[in-house]
Amino acid sequence: MSPQDLTTAIVNGINAGGEQFLEGTLAAALPIIWLAILGLHLGRPYILDMIDRFTLRLGADLLWLIYVALRDLLIVSGVIMSFMFFFPDVVNTDPLPLTGGLAAVALFGVLLVKLMGDPDHNLRAFRITTVLLAVGAALYFVPYVLGTQGSFAFSPNLVTNTNQQWAVIIAYISIGLLAIMGAVAAIYALRTGGRPEAPGSTAAQ
Amino acid sequence: MKPEDVTTAITNALIQGGSSWLISTIVAFLPALWTMTLILHLGRPYVIRTLRRCGLRLGADVWWMSYILMRDALMVVTFALSWVFFQPNIVTSAALPITGGLAALCLLIALAVKLTRRVDDDINAYRLATAFLVLGATLFYGPQVFAVEATSQGYLAGFAKFFTSNSNETLALILMWIALAGVALIAAWMFIRAWVSANRTMTRRLAPKETPAVKETTAAVQ
Repeated sequence: MSPQDLTTAIVNGINAGGEQFLEGTLAAALPIIWLAILGLHLGRPYILDMIDRFTLRLGADLLWLIYVALRDLLIVSGVIMSFMFFFPDVVNTDPLPLTGGLAAVALFGVLLVKLMGDPDHNLRAFRITTVLLAVGAALYFVPYVLGTQGSFAFSPNLVTNTNQQWAVIIAYISIGLLAIMGAVAAIYALRTGGRPEAPGSTAAQ
Repeated sequence: MKPEDVTTAITNALIQGGSSWLISTIVAFLPALWTMTLILHLGRPYVIRTLRRCGLRLGADVWWMSYILMRDALMVVTFALSWVFFQPNIVTSAALPITGGLAALCLLIALAVKLTRRVDDDINAYRLATAFLVLGATLFYGPQVFAVEATSQGYLAGFAKFFTSNSNETLALILMWIALAGVALIAAWMFIRAWVSANRTMTRRLAPKETPAVKETTAAVQ
């Protein structure tokens, strides 16, 4: 082996190892993000109850804004960190939960409902976001706990790199769904011009 | 192989490997940045809806300011990191989406629209910025997902070869130079606009000082 061969081997090792380390870290952080999202979403009654106890309007406003910002930024972070589920090479190489891409789609669906509806004041929209979060969490945690972290007979079927055919199919389905929802969001933004309601319509206060 | 050879190999590997790892990390983070940029831009109606419910002006201001700062700073950072698409050596050696440079150009145009028109007040300006952002994201995501990150898929081999920069070097370089020319034109226009605007506003501000003071006939304080 020449020094150049050794250099190339180390470079390839750094690149492949670095990439897999990054993806592994993201995959390890995602369950925490999911739990925090669920905790904040389901903890809404507790926050509302606390807001009623404030004697100053400023404190109530700040608590609500911090809660909303934290909750929604975590959902956005969840979608972004789940982006690796849409890359065929990554799902073929790394041991990820099989339906993680569909979980990311459910999370993006929550963002779409928040954009087009008003889950904090509309019961129907709130129920839709809750159902989407429950479905997304199930799609993420079941293959993660029983597949990626489990060693049952069926575990390899729930992990992407040991069930590559289904992993790639699910990745394509997830990309398709995400593209459709992204197009809906873009059309909505173009139609309304970035306003909460379409120009010319009455304000939905 | 002597110990010196191993030392040389490790040193070279750390330099070359570190450089390529940095580039690949930037490229790996770009989809996340593009997605965040799009989500924050398209999420404007939701942000306004939340803002309208603030009882106090302070809360509303803090909310709106945080949103604007994050949204626009992300656009600038995404464009800054997209600079890897304008380095000829990187374009030909690393596996990048072939239309990454054009995507960055669209992002810069969206930024230029924000600079020249009041996107948060003018519906048509917002629509224009949205159109450029969506076009840029499409130019980035398509080759990234189905070419750069799909080398393991045999049936996508033709698509992957065509849309990956280091396997279609000639087209990649042509697109890179076109995008770079566009970026240079827009940057020059932004520079001239800032220059003219600064000249105009500063001249207006300095003008009263240069005119001789009028003598007052009555005392200011009686």
